[in-house]
Amino acid sequence: MSNNGNNGKKGNNGNNESHAGGSEPVLRIRDLKKTYMQGRIPVHALDGVSFDVRKGELLSIVGPSGSGKSTLISMIGLLDRPTDGSVFIDDVEITKAKESEAPRIRREKIGFVFQHFNLLSTLTAMENVDIAMRFTGTSKNKRNERAFELLTMVGLGDRVKHKPSELSGGQQQRVAIARALANEPAILLADEPTGAVDTKTREVIVELLKGLSEKGQTIIVVTHDMDVARQTDRIITMRDGRIASDTVKGIEENEYEKRYDLQN
Amino acid sequence: MFDLIIRSLTQRKMRTGLTVFGIALGIFAVVVMGGMSEHLSTTYDKSIKLLAADIMVQPDGSGTLDESKIRQIKRVPGVKDAYGALYTPLDPEQSGGGFGLSDLVCGILPEKQIKDLKLTSGRYLVPGDEYKAVVGSSIAQKFNLKVGDELEIKSKRMKSSSSISHTRNVTVVGIQEYSGTMFDSFVSMPLDAAQRFYKMENTVSFIYAEPAPGTDSSLLAKRIDLSVEKVKSRSPAQLRKDVEGEIVFISLITISAAILAAIIGGLSVMNTMLMSVSERTKEFGLLKALGAERKNILFMTMGEAALMGIIGGISGIVAGGIITYLLNKSFEAQGSALFAITPRLVVIGLLFAISLGVICGTYPAYRATKMSPMEALRYE
Repeated sequence: MSNNGNNGKKGNNGNNESHAGGSEPVLRIRDLKKTYMQGRIPVHALDGVSFDVRKGELLSIVGPSGSGKSTLISMIGLLDRPTDGSVFIDDVEITKAKESEAPRIRREKIGFVFQHFNLLSTLTAMENVDIAMRFTGTSKNKRNERAFELLTMVGLGDRVKHKPSELSGGQQQRVAIARALANEPAILLADEPTGAVDTKTREVIVELLKGLSEKGQTIIVVTHDMDVARQTDRIITMRDGRIASDTVKGIEENEYEKRYDLQN
Repeated sequence: MFDLIIRSLTQRKMRTGLTVFGIALGIFAVVVMGGMSEHLSTTYDKSIKLLAADIMVQPDGSGTLDESKIRQIKRVPGVKDAYGALYTPLDPEQSGGGFGLSDLVCGILPEKQIKDLKLTSGRYLVPGDEYKAVVGSSIAQKFNLKVGDELEIKSKRMKSSSSISHTRNVTVVGIQEYSGTMFDSFVSMPLDAAQRFYKMENTVSFIYAEPAPGTDSSLLAKRIDLSVEKVKSRSPAQLRKDVEGEIVFISLITISAAILAAIIGGLSVMNTMLMSVSERTKEFGLLKALGAERKNILFMTMGEAALMGIIGGISGIVAGGIITYLLNKSFEAQGSALFAITPRLVVIGLLFAISLGVICGTYPAYRATKMSPMEALRYE
């Protein structure tokens, strides 16, 4: 398995604000470090990672196992704390947030999509979307309305009463995406969203994510699958806890689209 | 959030059912055992209240007292009056058996009847009555007696064979109302007639001494013990203390057995909850990733445990209530109840069940809040 040949700048320090113009960054990561102790040996899971993500960007993070992708995404999702460095979402430094504030930040700023969907098997599609809004104090009517709207948007308007066991993998993942969007998060974090589905379903999910991105949803996808990564605006390749390359295709959007169309 | 708790419990019907059953069984034991000691203590409590302020003098050791002791006691300074009473089992074949209060024939002086015990029909004993009796409500029910009916009393001579050597009818002249005391199981008849029938002339079981006004009954009881040979006196306070001590002792045995059962029920809640929490590692991790607060997760897990406690508690109390009701019914046919399910007992049972659920749910709940969202993120 060869990585993409683009071995750009290595161990880049400083900012990657390489995009001309564009909107304010939704996410800013500055010199993020995470060191685990494996017995007595320190392991640098993240070793000085910095980059920005603009609103509406569809970004994929790729890299071999152990390159630090998961660590990175758990820092952004406030599931883990860095050893050093900062993560800003909407100009708020979430890495400085107290432990008690973490749940609120998670539900307001982040929407998670997991490889294995992680729907609650006892609940219907509707209730699975609803549960994400329960912790926000939204009224039941509003929650139902929003859940139905989201499920319709992901093309499951006729499946709202189905339990996960009655849905295909792709449908389950779409419920999970609807759930992740429920609280209008600043960032949608998708961790191997196509890792457990077949190639046909993969395309459906990627198309869905692309559509969301076009509507202005910021999305970060962690993936092993280069076919998925190639369809995103920007690819960050991780290696040994650092950014090995950061390729923005969006600069030549037209050219990219042409190329994409040709491939089809 | 409550619907999620229900969902989670109904999802695992078998396990939830068994756990609830465990608690119900424990609380059932608490209710039944507790009901027994509650009944005992209320009965004795009411009985003692009826005995007024008299000092009870009984033989030091077993046996009976000679009536000459009455005269001796009357001479003790501070004693206003003294009188004897003779107690014998109504059915000599069945004396002193079982838990309940046994039926007794009570020979008393008509003028010393406890008039606090109201009659539902008929009259009290009057001097000059011979083989006449006032019966307690349990006796009346058991033998289906009305005023004017005859009740057979039996006496068994000590030295002869086990056959009943002597029977005789007494006429019921009055029926007492239900008092929830041991007097419900009494057949009261004039002392002299009782002594004659039982061939126990000049003999009494107990002597009651009335203190003169202004006399301390505890001190007087001691004085009687010092002045009269081979007797043991107990003031009302002392009597109450002794009885309470006995009841506490009985209660302690029954209740601790019951609590043991309930704790086992509690442990089963804990086990179920621990299992359920570790099974749902992913679910709790997910809820955290979705932004659930600690309190949300605590509420869900503790709620589950508490709900099992409540359901188990209520079923235990209801089952205990039904069983004791049925048992009481069947014992009532024989004249006496055995259990009293007091409101206090119901509250204790329910609180015990809930706190058992909550306490045993605390550690599993704590474990649930410690679940890392990362687990949910990565592992299948």
